[in-house]
Amino acid sequence: MDLQSKPDLLSNLARIGLVILRLGLAAVLGYAAWIKLREPWMLFAMSVDAYHVLPEWGSMAVARSLPWIELLLAVLLLTGLWQRVAMPAASVLLAAFFALMVRSYVRGEGIDCGCFGPGEAISPITLLRDGGLLAASLVLTWAAYRRARPKPIAAGSRTSLAVESGL
Amino acid sequence: MRLSAAVLLSLLPALVAAPSVDKGKAFGNPSAPITIELFSDFQCPSCRALHMGLLPALIRDYVVPGKAYLVYKEYPLPGHSHSREAAAYACAAARVGKYEQVADVLFQNQPSWSADGKVFETVAAALTPAEQKKVQLLAKDPGVLSEVDQDVQEGQSERVNATPTMIIVRGAKKYPIAGDLNYNLLRGFLDGLTK
Repeated sequence: MDLQSKPDLLSNLARIGLVILRLGLAAVLGYAAWIKLREPWMLFAMSVDAYHVLPEWGSMAVARSLPWIELLLAVLLLTGLWQRVAMPAASVLLAAFFALMVRSYVRGEGIDCGCFGPGEAISPITLLRDGGLLAASLVLTWAAYRRARPKPIAAGSRTSLAVESGL
Repeated sequence: MRLSAAVLLSLLPALVAAPSVDKGKAFGNPSAPITIELFSDFQCPSCRALHMGLLPALIRDYVVPGKAYLVYKEYPLPGHSHSREAAAYACAAARVGKYEQVADVLFQNQPSWSADGKVFETVAAALTPAEQKKVQLLAKDPGVLSEVDQDVQEGQSERVNATPTMIIVRGAKKYPIAGDLNYNLLRGFLDGLTK
């Protein structure tokens, strides 16, 4: 093994890890969207309302739109398109979910998470799961922006941003 | 004869699998399109809020007009020292046709009996002297105590993890809804199911 091959191997492993993470997150978001879309939307509106952060019309608006946003993010993560938009958007969404869940758990409200349909109370397990998803999303966001660093182009040509496409 | 026996045999698993319903704890039309199973704990403040706030409206709009069949289920939580005793008295009261009245006095006076443990004294206010004697005996009856356990087991099998939890049943579909509910949203959901 030459001196060059070890960093290459690590870089390839990291790249594969990021792809797995991205596809995993896409699957989770897609599943969450599918579960919500197959049930009557009012059921999810009640889950949103139980957090007591939005007025009734706000809960209804979130219940109507959120599953479609989750589905769109899942498709973008799956295809690798617009990652510098999709990754931060997923991170903001997951950070909001996580903050609301922690708040509700600390207050002892005993409500449903609403993450994957009804019947799942907020517990240390759901917090750990959503915290893990948030961490994964933050790693992917960092990776998406890290790839956009300016790279010097060969001598004699003008310097420009070389942005890799996909992970 | 053979045919009816075969039909009866084929129905047997469904009859066995059907959840038990204590008629004294069930209200409305049993053949209503929706069944609402309400798992609650007499010592839980959120159950009190639901019982005194949302439930009368739900009964008025859905149970009385025959759109929903309401079935009360006991789900005394382990952290509440008097809730199992209260559930036993309520089940005993159901056997003399006074479940609703006893549930009302238990929820109305929840702060006092939760503090001093005077559950029977609270229950007695909703009963005649003859009913009081009957209920006091029935509350210690193994059949009544096992009824409470059966409700708890049913709740566990339905993955009830908080009180109050409503399980809304429409055909083969079950929708568990936990916690403090917004009645407008619940109404929208129920109306959507009955359309």
